[in-house]
Amino acid sequence: MSALPPPDTIEGRVAWIFGDDFDIDLVIGVENIKHYDPDVLRSVCMRHYDPAFADEVRPGDVVVGGRNFGYGHPHYPPMVALRNLGIAAVVAESFSPGFWRGETYNGMPLLTVPGITRAVRRWDRVSIDWRRPAVRLARQDAELTGEPLSERVVKVIEAGGSLNLLLAEHRRARATG
Amino acid sequence: MGRTITEKILGRTAEGPPVRARDNRAFRPDHMIAYDFPGYTDVMFRQMHDDFGITELDDPERYLVFIDHMLTRGDAKEEAVHQVTRDWCDFYGITLHEAEGIGHQVAAELGYALPGRFLIHFDGHISGLGAFGALGWGVRRDLLEAWVTGRIHLDVPESVRFELTGSFPEGVDNRDLIHTIIARLGADGCAHQVMEFTGPGARSMSIDRRQGLCGMAMFTGAVSAIFNPDELSLDYARKVSGAVPEPLYSDPDAVYAGVHEIDLSELEPQVVLPGSARGANTRGVSALKGTPVTKAFIGSCASGRLEDIRAAAQVLRGRRVSDGVQLNVVPTSAAIHRRAEEEGLLDVLRDAGAAVATSSCDFCFGYQKPLKAGENCVSTGVLNISGRMGDTGAHIYMGSAYTVAASAVTGEISDVREVTGP
Repeated sequence: MSALPPPDTIEGRVAWIFGDDFDIDLVIGVENIKHYDPDVLRSVCMRHYDPAFADEVRPGDVVVGGRNFGYGHPHYPPMVALRNLGIAAVVAESFSPGFWRGETYNGMPLLTVPGITRAVRRWDRVSIDWRRPAVRLARQDAELTGEPLSERVVKVIEAGGSLNLLLAEHRRARATG
Repeated sequence: MGRTITEKILGRTAEGPPVRARDNRAFRPDHMIAYDFPGYTDVMFRQMHDDFGITELDDPERYLVFIDHMLTRGDAKEEAVHQVTRDWCDFYGITLHEAEGIGHQVAAELGYALPGRFLIHFDGHISGLGAFGALGWGVRRDLLEAWVTGRIHLDVPESVRFELTGSFPEGVDNRDLIHTIIARLGADGCAHQVMEFTGPGARSMSIDRRQGLCGMAMFTGAVSAIFNPDELSLDYARKVSGAVPEPLYSDPDAVYAGVHEIDLSELEPQVVLPGSARGANTRGVSALKGTPVTKAFIGSCASGRLEDIRAAAQVLRGRRVSDGVQLNVVPTSAAIHRRAEEEGLLDVLRDAGAAVATSSCDFCFGYQKPLKAGENCVSTGVLNISGRMGDTGAHIYMGSAYTVAASAVTGEISDVREVTGP
């Protein structure tokens, strides 16, 4: 489930704004949390929020979350579903630790940017320098900055996920060892 | 400036200068634990072998695998899952514990959770080992990093201190404490932090209660929870291990992100509404009194230890499980099962009409006797999200073993103090 690394600046739109303590499993519904089939995931992704979501989202779009995004007992398929549609990052007020660890491993940029939920509306254009991180808001001509990622997490995202990074490090260690 | 027990334990396992909260460093866990489950262990072993080309481990004694899920159907499918795990453990020389109980408990019984030790697992309930002055951290798929490199990169967490006074009143236990904390601080009240339990109230708690409390840390957003060692936990360590390492303690001037004072004697029985353990779902038992139930469950890595079974037996002695209610009791480990049998507790439960099952994780995740749509279950399991114990249309209320036993007797959610009387 490793991802392609994101570009230096993610250019897209705010595809959805979730509230606080959002349980990521609801993106596809708890009855679907064991599916990995892309067609199934596409057919159920965000269906209960906006039936047209899958058709309207474009690669580079992001989703925005409130406090403690990913709370609950997060499974992986919901984020696979969003990633398959092109969602390039999650920008939230804060993240639930279990979700943060699991999806960082998978290479998804998870950016903690206080104030983001009040600053944006659905379909606003944003450009995101994910390393800083900074979110440029085109409509307001403003910028929000968030909590910096650790050096290690930057490497994980640049590699497209932990597995890719570990494999690269392992190959280097073997070559020099 | 002093350091917390968490900073000291992590510092013990890192190279370089002393570690402080917010550092990101690589740590070398004493033990790297997993339970076999399709999509987890089979994938990790295959990655380690095929993708990383690792065919031999330098230190297989640091790896530990449990078979504690999928033990109760006895069909070809679960046997095939376990055989894959057995074969890999055999190949790498990894110790495998099969059907001895829930790994988070068995790890303690086998002497892995000694004071000052750092243990990781992909599953977050490993935090229960904090009862022993060890640090248990659920790292999800990052376990692979530790398995293939021997080390894992982590942000050193800040600690939040819970200064506990008093002791639990009759009919109240660690489940009521953790749900009270969640209700007061919120589901992210301790996000990315370690909960450190201190004070006379902490010292008044039995080992079972400490394990159950620490094991639920994730529902406050915490990455783990811990007690400083004391005579009780050091006695336990001496019993399960020949060589107890020098214990580590927080310094008196350690820095905490916050301090919360809680008087245990003021706590009331709590019940959590179906959906999640979030604070807004937590109610004093009186608010839900009378809610009908047909299923009741006592067990899991958070509840199901001897103290929980004693609590259930205390309620059920001389009483009967209500007609129309099925009460299932699953001791957390085989050793606890034996002890409960020797104490006559399981006879009390069976005489009252409860079904006692051998130890596993299977009830708690809906594998054994799954709930049907529309059923109400009152449970000491760790999770009450939709679909957790069976059909997504079943409703799971969570509470302590006291509350579950009392509710099983009346057939509706009940206050144990009213069921057993003064």
